[in-house]
Amino acid sequence: MDIVVQILLNAVIAGAIYSLLALGFNLIYSTARFFDLGYGALTAVGGYSVFFLYKILGLPLIPSIIFGMIMAGILGWGVSELVYRPLRARKASNTVLLVAALGVLTVIQAGIAILFTSQFQTLSRYVAEQQTYTILGGVITQTQVLILAAGLIIMVLLGVVLKYTRVGKAVRAVADDEEVATIVGINAQRIMGGVFFVGSMIGGLAGISVGFDTGIQPTMGLALLLKGVIAAIIGGIGNVWGGVIGAFVLALVENLGAWQFSGEWKDAIAFLVLILFLLFRPKGILGK
Amino acid sequence: MEEGSNKGWIWGIVVLLVVVLGGWWVLGQKTPGASADTIKIGFIGALTGDAADYGEPQKNVLVLAAKDINDHGGIAGKQVEIIYEDAKCKGPDGANAASKLVNVDKVQVILGGSCSGETLAAVPVAEAGKVAIITGSATSPALINKSPYFFRDYPNDSSQGVVLADQAYTKEGWKKVAVIQEQTDYALGIFQAFEARYKQLGGTIVKEEFASNISDFRSVLAKLKADKPDAVLVSVQTAASAQRIFDQMQKLGWKPKLMLNDVTIGDPATLTKFKDFLEGDIGANFNLNDTPKFVALRDAYKAAYGKDMGYPTYSTAVYDSLYLIKEAIEAVGYDGTKIAAWGRSSVKNWEGASGSITIGPDGERQSGDSIFQVKNGTAVLVQ
Repeated sequence: MDIVVQILLNAVIAGAIYSLLALGFNLIYSTARFFDLGYGALTAVGGYSVFFLYKILGLPLIPSIIFGMIMAGILGWGVSELVYRPLRARKASNTVLLVAALGVLTVIQAGIAILFTSQFQTLSRYVAEQQTYTILGGVITQTQVLILAAGLIIMVLLGVVLKYTRVGKAVRAVADDEEVATIVGINAQRIMGGVFFVGSMIGGLAGISVGFDTGIQPTMGLALLLKGVIAAIIGGIGNVWGGVIGAFVLALVENLGAWQFSGEWKDAIAFLVLILFLLFRPKGILGK
Repeated sequence: MEEGSNKGWIWGIVVLLVVVLGGWWVLGQKTPGASADTIKIGFIGALTGDAADYGEPQKNVLVLAAKDINDHGGIAGKQVEIIYEDAKCKGPDGANAASKLVNVDKVQVILGGSCSGETLAAVPVAEAGKVAIITGSATSPALINKSPYFFRDYPNDSSQGVVLADQAYTKEGWKKVAVIQEQTDYALGIFQAFEARYKQLGGTIVKEEFASNISDFRSVLAKLKADKPDAVLVSVQTAASAQRIFDQMQKLGWKPKLMLNDVTIGDPATLTKFKDFLEGDIGANFNLNDTPKFVALRDAYKAAYGKDMGYPTYSTAVYDSLYLIKEAIEAVGYDGTKIAAWGRSSVKNWEGASGSITIGPDGERQSGDSIFQVKNGTAVLVQ
């Protein structure tokens, strides 16, 4: 019996991380309307910033995490201003933006590998002394509970901001139609920059969470990005709540699959689910 | 217009000629491997990535060995130069590295690779170029008799899997073992040898595999835990993978009896880091003795690099491999085919830093692994 509980808990933990990834990705995708591969590398930027501040310099935990998120945010914003904005101004097609984003992903990964080597690193300072909780025979660690809480808080915050505030409405207006939004007096460029900043911060937090949960590598981004994208597509791309639901569905299916078949099939199962959704319910669970 | 394009043609041909002839001339200058005063030897190993944990100390000991050889007159009067190639513990990179060493640098001997995957890919390339290849740390049984150009001065994993199976079933009385295995040639080789012997003895095995890029083992571990095995064999490619597994076992609150392979029990850093967690667990490793040659190497390493020699078993075998090649070249000349034949016929009770080396006609080192137990953060030989 306790294996079922443990599998469910594992799914919840993985789901929390996927939902952070999907939240950031959804926010950027629904506004900028292109597949930002560079978003994947920003998870590693978050993770490695915390690695540097918390583990190498020995700074306190919370400031390190906040700074790591800001680093990812600034870099995401910078890339959007320096790379994507001129391309959009030139009316570059989505394919061009996609290729540019692939370049961004590669450059950031290489930069991290040069600075920190490509060795696998963990973020937690003391592994053995972590507080764990037992729920119905399943085990969950304190870090994992915190990740889950962070995911839920950010989801609610993002949902509320987008729905009820002026800024949120402006973001949705830009997402719906950039030109019309500009005509009615919304500064679309600033909104876009802000979206990249916030989306990248959330991606950075996802990377930090992964770092505390399992560990980080410069090339971790692409795999995480794909999980975020699958979650977003399952839930309904561009839909905040949908992304979160999709994330938990994906995590559950993956972990049940690992249990029923074998662990090595986890990724295959994730992509199978993606294909099924694309074929039979392309709008996702919630739709837009 | 017409004239212009004609001129373009002529210029094109001139440039082409210059490039082709120039390239021919430049490449023609490259002397095959040995020039008047140097002998080139290739090295293939993991210098980046998780497996650099053992690849890097191998490069370090070779730097020491090459310096020592050059300071004492070189090989047959010539200075030795080692060309280091990073194959990242991956097959395709191993094949590329071998192809560069064979075709561009024109070496006659390659040391390495440091992993089985890269070596399995490099051996056919070496054979095609008639280049001898000797490894001191790729241990997969799949390499046995893979090519007449291949030999090794480190025991292969059949012995590792077999001694672990014997210990588990006969000495410890474990009738059901769970295996968590990384999907690499080396980790698979250990598992296969273990499985064959353990099933023959009458034991049952449950097994989970994982790809090297996986870092979330929770569900796999939860599943194995539910199978209630008497012990778990952790057959991984790198100590980093093992550490991730131990870490997540702790997070799951699960501490089964563990059996470790040589990359884990041979890594002092892992044993120290998981000192309490691994206390009493067993593993198979090659048995090194504190011979004067070994102690001298260990101290020289520490003096040169300011840290302990990583993976002493592999590192000493790789160190010895360069001296073996030195003897081979002095005996039969700088010729890949002859060196390989020498390696399979002439190494008998050769005293190196890794102990007494005898290599059989199959190219395999003739001594096996022993069982060690983790006690207080170090591996102690079980008698």
